Amino acid sequence: MILRRLNLLFCLALLAGAAAAQSDPPLQPVPAGKTPSVSMAPVPLVTAPRAAQTVVKLNFRIGNGFHINSNTPKTEYLIPTALKMDLPTDIILGKIDYPAGQDLTFPFSPDETLSVYTGDFTVAVAVHPLHAVVPGKYVMHGVLRYQACDNAQCFPPKTLPVSFEVKVVKEPPGPRHNPAQSPHVHN
Amino acid sequence: MSIEPEDQTPRPQPEAGNVNGGTPVLPPPVERGRSPMSLFVAAVVAALMLYFGFHMARRAGPTHRSSTVKSSPAPDFTLQSLDGKDMRLSDFRGKAVLLNFWATWCGPCKIEMPWFVELQKEYGPQGFQIVGVAMDDSSKEDIAKFAKDMGVNYPVLIGKEAVGEAYGGVPALPESFFISRDGKIMDKFIGLRGKGEVEDAIKKTLDAQPVTNAADMASASQAQK
Repeated sequence: MILRRLNLLFCLALLAGAAAAQSDPPLQPVPAGKTPSVSMAPVPLVTAPRAAQTVVKLNFRIGNGFHINSNTPKTEYLIPTALKMDLPTDIILGKIDYPAGQDLTFPFSPDETLSVYTGDFTVAVAVHPLHAVVPGKYVMHGVLRYQACDNAQCFPPKTLPVSFEVKVVKEPPGPRHNPAQSPHVHN
Repeated sequence: MSIEPEDQTPRPQPEAGNVNGGTPVLPPPVERGRSPMSLFVAAVVAALMLYFGFHMARRAGPTHRSSTVKSSPAPDFTLQSLDGKDMRLSDFRGKAVLLNFWATWCGPCKIEMPWFVELQKEYGPQGFQIVGVAMDDSSKEDIAKFAKDMGVNYPVLIGKEAVGEAYGGVPALPESFFISRDGKIMDKFIGLRGKGEVEDAIKKTLDAQPVTNAADMASASQAQK
């Protein structure tokens, strides 16, 4: 009986400590000293047939309370978010598709909308292994350059290393053609 | 052909829970021989550590490599201005200085610049000087164009990393230091503040009396506390 009560007291004491620790919520969405974070989710192995284009989706997440400029910011001096890939020889980089930015206003710029990404966003990259590529696994490397701000301050531009693996396979066989018909008519 | 991997957005892993197919999991038995009182004491200590640890961590705030605390001397530096002249911070000794770190890519910096233009006009005659330091990768020409477009009426210097380091690393912009006539840091603002707050800090910096001797310094230090 005594043990049960003491266990209860133990739990209550821990809960009280945790509650006290959380009783003073931050005044701003982003606490002072917290720096922005952008991370990329792991990309599963992508199979890419030779002589064809394969689209790979890269999913990014921006830390809560921060935003980064979209790929097409509205103001000349703002730094766009941009992916730069460095692919192996004979694997051609196709189009990089960026999502449209959200048009938002911020307390520091109430009369001006900015085109930004917040939360999660996806960049689609097309890769095109040429016919000469030996089938096998290849690692694609690149960097995502971004510049983040919160509601009152901005942080210097940063680059996030990006990599994903592509398994290059032989191109699928083309459509079968019927062999040429004999011109002879067999009666 | 296009392959679109499934949504790989990072998500929190589900917490390990009851994996016994609905069978209730009994709490582990309490070890025999452990005093119940010691368990209680441990609980209280853990709760206190949680509480104080959390609050101390919050009060400590960001750690900077340099001592840019109030009343410490503002580190001197030499930087090039937009017109190619070398300027030292100590050139402005005798004036109250607002040292403002900014960049062309910084939206909040752009908001406060027109305020600075007005405040320079208003308080300049009283011995007040704003000095901008552009912490920018852009070319000098781009910075100059930006400053001209914003109508900047105070010197803008091309920043260097070493100067930023001397002022605590300048992890975010804008960052402003209010420096008294005798070269002491009176206040520091990280991020955008209201124009009224900036103006109040300027007035206090203008009114700050120079600390002349050790006794005054001690009393000033006491007053700060």
